[in-house]
Amino acid sequence: MTNESAPQIGVTLYSFTNEWLTRQFDLPGLMREVAKRGMGPNIEIIGFQSFRDFPDVSDDTAARFKDIVAETGLKPTSLAINSDRFMKPGQQPIDDATLVEYHKRQLRSAAKLGFPIARSQFALPAHLLPDLAPYAEDLGIVMGVEVHAPMCWGHPAVQAYAEMYDKLGSPALGWIPDFSGTASRIPESMLDAARRAGAQESLIDLLKEIWPEPGMSHEKAGKLRERALAAGHAPEHIQAASLAFFILANNDPKSWAHMVDRTVHIHGKFYGVDDEGREEAIDYETILPLFRDGGFKGTLVSEWEGHAYDMRDAFEQVRRHQAMCRRIFAEA
Amino acid sequence: MLPVETIIGEEGLESTGEGLRLAMRLPWYRSLPFSTVEIASVAIDGEPVELSGALVEHDGERWPLAVQGEETDRFWFVRDSSFLILPGQQLPAGSRHEVALTLNISPPYIPGMKRFNRQTATLSVN
Repeated sequence: MTNESAPQIGVTLYSFTNEWLTRQFDLPGLMREVAKRGMGPNIEIIGFQSFRDFPDVSDDTAARFKDIVAETGLKPTSLAINSDRFMKPGQQPIDDATLVEYHKRQLRSAAKLGFPIARSQFALPAHLLPDLAPYAEDLGIVMGVEVHAPMCWGHPAVQAYAEMYDKLGSPALGWIPDFSGTASRIPESMLDAARRAGAQESLIDLLKEIWPEPGMSHEKAGKLRERALAAGHAPEHIQAASLAFFILANNDPKSWAHMVDRTVHIHGKFYGVDDEGREEAIDYETILPLFRDGGFKGTLVSEWEGHAYDMRDAFEQVRRHQAMCRRIFAEA
Repeated sequence: MLPVETIIGEEGLESTGEGLRLAMRLPWYRSLPFSTVEIASVAIDGEPVELSGALVEHDGERWPLAVQGEETDRFWFVRDSSFLILPGQQLPAGSRHEVALTLNISPPYIPGMKRFNRQTATLSVN
């Protein structure tokens, strides 16, 4: 039984990136495994991860996908699309008309596959939203932009979107918070991965000193690099330690309160849930009540990103994370 | 080595009538347009391989490596290998060689990001 008035739980297949890349599962096999373990029914899929013919899925692909959905009882909830604007490295981004059409192709695929939500990215400039909102409305799809580290409420790109959302008033536009932007600390498992890659404790200490400082992520990464090189650390060890700057940021967890009303879906980003049901780096006890008490009725999908630096069992991590989220959502 | 860092493919190195064929994996979590993938260098037993005549093969199609930067609407499906064809090069079947590959990617939704990847493996020629 699920309570339709409360936030729903699900999983993004992105959590199983290691299992996918090592070909332990094909798409039907992975969906069957997720269903068997009771991690659905709500699922998010990255179009460009799981469908060979993305961005333009064929009728045959869509029919086969719907067969597996029917067989497993899973519920397509969000399709992650990509705002690929920089198609030629070092050259100008693609023109606006091409970028709009690129999004329309992916929105059509989302509709064809039966997804009600499409996740987009800030690489799509806000001034193109007026071209896409009516198109998404006609398809019956809500397009949510992912608010991911280093961004959060108050970032210029987020504010530009908020102003455009106010101007357009379209029901087809919203936010998809990703909690990577509001980590309270660097996950210990990520530090352990840097240690295994050869980073010395003095480099880890330097990382822990610089990471929480105010400033832009790439500037802080540059500062770490400069000071670590001067201290004699090897470039490959510095690269291993620098991952923290690129996938998580320490903005205020309570800042999500500004975005609850227009939140259409949530990426429950996490790195590791311990035996006591606590996430290593992100304070779920602070964040989830904002959405629970703010009236969010959509789906939070468990998004394990530890696969970016180690090989823990993704299924066990997702199981723990979903139990934690259910507990906090139930504590009304 | 993590899956997302692996660039030499499971299918390894094959010697065919037209030349050598090296399997490659995409070091990212999602498919990318080939225009954002740079096959920077290959060395076999420490000797750099000339890539000017090389071809890239994926999902039954192939094209010259030299025009790969223009392939903005051709995608490398992340679960599949691509193959680098080195025409005219041969190695005896069953012989073992150290292969070093450098393959860099620039994810097209992250401005300015370039990820460098290098892998060395000892492969037995199929």
